[in-house]
Amino acid sequence: MTSAVTTRAAQRDALSHWANKHRRWLFALPAMTFIVCLIAFPVVWTAWLSLTDASGSVRAESTFVGLKNYGDILTDTHRFWPAVGRTISFTVVVLFFEMLFGLGIALLLWRPFRGEKWVRIAILMPLVATPVAVGMMWRLIFDPSIGPVNRLLVAVGIPAQPWLAGEFTALPTTMFMDIWQWTPMVTLILLAGLTSLSDEPQEAARVDGASGWQTLRWITLPMLRPTLIVALLLRGIDALKTFDILIAAKGKGGGSFNEVETLNLYAYGLSFDYNEYALSSTVLILFFVIIVTCIFLLTRKREESAS
Amino acid sequence: MIQSRRYKVFRFTMLVLVVLFLVLPIVWMVLAAFKTNVDIYDVAKTIAFMPTLENFTKVFAQGNFGAYIINSSVVALSATAASLVLGVPAAFAMSRFVMNKSALVVLMARVIPGISLLVPWYYIFSNLRLVGSLWVLILSHMFVSLPLIVYIMMGFFDGLPLEIEESGLVDGLTHIGAFWHLMVPLSRGGMATAGILSFIFSWNNFMFALVLSGSSTKTLPVAIYDFIGYASIDWGALMAASTVVTVPIMVIALFTQRYIVAGLTAGATKG
Amino acid sequence: MSMVSRRAVLAAAGGLVAAATVGCSANTGGGDSGGSTTVKVTMANHVWTENVKKAIPEFEKASGLKIEITQLAEDQLSDQYNVKLNAGTSEIDVMMYRPLQEGRLFAQNKYFADLTSKAKADATWNLADFQAAPIAATTYQGKVVGVPIITEREVLYYRKDLLQKAGLSVPKTLDELQAAAKAIKAANPDVAGFVARTSKSPAVTQFSSFLYSMGGDWVDASGKAAVNSDAAKKAYAFYGGLIKNYGPANVSTDMSWPEAMAIFTQGKAAFYTEADSLYKNATDPAKSKVADTVGFAVFPAGPAGSKPYNIPSWALGINDASKNQANAWKFILWATSKEQTLAQQKGGIPGARTSVWADADGTSSYPKDLAEAIAASTKGGVDHDRPIVAQVVKAREAVGQPIVDSIKGSDVTASVETAVKAFQAVLDTEKK
Repeated sequence: MTSAVTTRAAQRDALSHWANKHRRWLFALPAMTFIVCLIAFPVVWTAWLSLTDASGSVRAESTFVGLKNYGDILTDTHRFWPAVGRTISFTVVVLFFEMLFGLGIALLLWRPFRGEKWVRIAILMPLVATPVAVGMMWRLIFDPSIGPVNRLLVAVGIPAQPWLAGEFTALPTTMFMDIWQWTPMVTLILLAGLTSLSDEPQEAARVDGASGWQTLRWITLPMLRPTLIVALLLRGIDALKTFDILIAAKGKGGGSFNEVETLNLYAYGLSFDYNEYALSSTVLILFFVIIVTCIFLLTRKREESAS
Repeated sequence: MIQSRRYKVFRFTMLVLVVLFLVLPIVWMVLAAFKTNVDIYDVAKTIAFMPTLENFTKVFAQGNFGAYIINSSVVALSATAASLVLGVPAAFAMSRFVMNKSALVVLMARVIPGISLLVPWYYIFSNLRLVGSLWVLILSHMFVSLPLIVYIMMGFFDGLPLEIEESGLVDGLTHIGAFWHLMVPLSRGGMATAGILSFIFSWNNFMFALVLSGSSTKTLPVAIYDFIGYASIDWGALMAASTVVTVPIMVIALFTQRYIVAGLTAGATKG
Repeated sequence: MSMVSRRAVLAAAGGLVAAATVGCSANTGGGDSGGSTTVKVTMANHVWTENVKKAIPEFEKASGLKIEITQLAEDQLSDQYNVKLNAGTSEIDVMMYRPLQEGRLFAQNKYFADLTSKAKADATWNLADFQAAPIAATTYQGKVVGVPIITEREVLYYRKDLLQKAGLSVPKTLDELQAAAKAIKAANPDVAGFVARTSKSPAVTQFSSFLYSMGGDWVDASGKAAVNSDAAKKAYAFYGGLIKNYGPANVSTDMSWPEAMAIFTQGKAAFYTEADSLYKNATDPAKSKVADTVGFAVFPAGPAGSKPYNIPSWALGINDASKNQANAWKFILWATSKEQTLAQQKGGIPGARTSVWADADGTSSYPKDLAEAIAASTKGGVDHDRPIVAQVVKAREAVGQPIVDSIKGSDVTASVETAVKAFQAVLDTEKK
């Protein structure tokens, strides 16, 4: 009996020892396996399709054409390159404002105050509203003839603007919609980071006579760097892939002049409107490459800050 | 930190502006839910109008909204919970051991545009006879949640000092024990944030549910689209449906928002 | 164990258990054996669907079959079909589709089951009762692949009160329409004379009647792109000019029918050319401010006469990969029977059966002038409202560009040259 118990205890110890020794992979492997399993087939399939001339139906006969699609897409200055331009400008603008406003609001919410519960709830609201419904809501609000925004402007003497209907005002209007909806997410992430920071350095700085601004710039922000990069990364990827509000605002093709067509919308249109599966896969692969490059540049920064 | 009076006034004004900016459009949307379609277009009736419940009656009569709410809840909760279980340890390992390549793999899940997943996933899952079940929805939502949780928690763990774990080891805990008994409680704030964001993303996810759900497992966003009719855009009903979708999740947000700043206890330990 | 993690574990466990139970029941419910008594029907949001849903319980009782409905908005339906049919699903038995939008593509991809023998077998149901043009649109290479359920023609919606105020009679020609729009706009500063769809792709179908009435078509007799013909140029310039000069101020070039209809029903336009099947949006007081003063007229005549389109907008087909085709056909037999078509027609949905059109009872609920306009349009109607190709979206975008350019005031001549090249490119890549 005793020997059985000792053996069991010994086994448990050995298991625990083994587990602790290999905890690095024990912890990480389940998540990674899950992702790889779900991702492998689609990625291979998409890459394969991009090397064929599949169109009409995915299961129809198609021939291998090598890199021809890539050549066609990369030399397409009519739809592809403008889409790249729109994707980048959209992302850069919304990221800039979302990080700026997000940080500002997080700093405002940092220290406890009365009524903070209600402010936090208010902040969650744009995030929580279904993007698709939000897109429709803004479409109505910005309607050139019957929407409240133009009515308000006209009442104070400013001429009515085309907003979503104008060829050149559509994209900026969608940027506004995106900033409205996603600044709260950045706020939340940064707030969580701020509240996990230790108070010591900041107290020390205050004692030394540093002003609020100085403390912020030289102490708080550098300490917040890892979180800032996380927010930048997560929000940046999502912004590059923005889809719901653009489709809800302008419909398929991003408007009659493709005025809000980003790469994601273009690939979607190629796939679902034109049934050009090979071309769509090509655009997706190229899109993927662009995103990965951006991430690469950002993670380099994370490595630097980790050291 | 002593807050100057000027700062307090400044903060108050800014917060009021921020709240108004964020909340007004939604208030407008909710008001619209109580108007008839004709009134919605009529700007004169923005604030003074005859409220009607017909939109909500339409919403609850036409759509089986009780079931959709349950579907959305189950899927979002399960996906978030499962992603936390898989993701928090992974984030910890990736933070402590600087596993950048692995972290990138996890991030890839978020990078892949949804469209390239639709047909292959539908193909695989329909062959596994999983289409239309809640399982496939949970799995596809986990796919989106996992990278989010891993990255937020990674950033969080990066900010926690190594001394905590070391003091745990000194006290006789194993590494895993230190993780479980010390690090996890300290990261409650981060987990709450990551959890809430993951829940929200899952709740509002539309693309996957559209293709992979069956008629009994439809989720709320897909149900909203039922109101966009060929014969009309029923704005009133659409706004009412949107309001209905948003209310449950706002209630949940109400109860969990205090965990978002629960990191205050973490600060106390370090101070 | 801290509070949050314990909660998380419990939630996970609970969620997984719940999911497993529901997941299991969803799986056993699905029919996959030949001849399952559950027929899976996918339908679009449409008044037709609302009407048929009310009648389905009676069908289920009579036939012993159970109907499982998936209902989606038009665009989502399209995307669903795209994904599922591409993957070869057997999850769809009956599908509601648009013959002119996806019919040809689906037929080429062999997504449809061949219904010819079934259709000819039942004499009471009577395949010959269906109008020629709609059935032609649901037939591919001699095989019947679908049954038309809803037909559409373009008519002129107008404001009786504004017309009366201006002392004008209902325009019978396009020139009269232009003059009337001009006069009314001048007399009423914040009402537009004319409104119509302006978005590149959606406008194509409503523009088509203008094209045909000017004597043009998308392709010429030999099948080559003909959107740069003189008639076409005139049509583009006319349509764009109407909107640019007498349309709403600051008009958006992304208006599909909901937006254009909204402008009309808010009382902000005098004339509106649109599909007749949408008429309820203008005559229903809950939806329209001008419900009691809306009139309908035949599409005005151009140099080549009054040539609106007369097309089947929706049809029912059977998924070739379905394992339940016999029962699926039973559903279609019932939903497209004379009785059901008459009931639908009474409910405001113009159908495709000759016998039902002959029955005055069918159009008794329609406004009188609408019924007359429809009757007149059926006679000379053109059987297509867009280019007849498989790559419909690309084609529509190519031939729709001059419409938008014309509305913006750009040179139509240059625009149609680009359009004809783009359209010809699409025609060249069509699979035979």
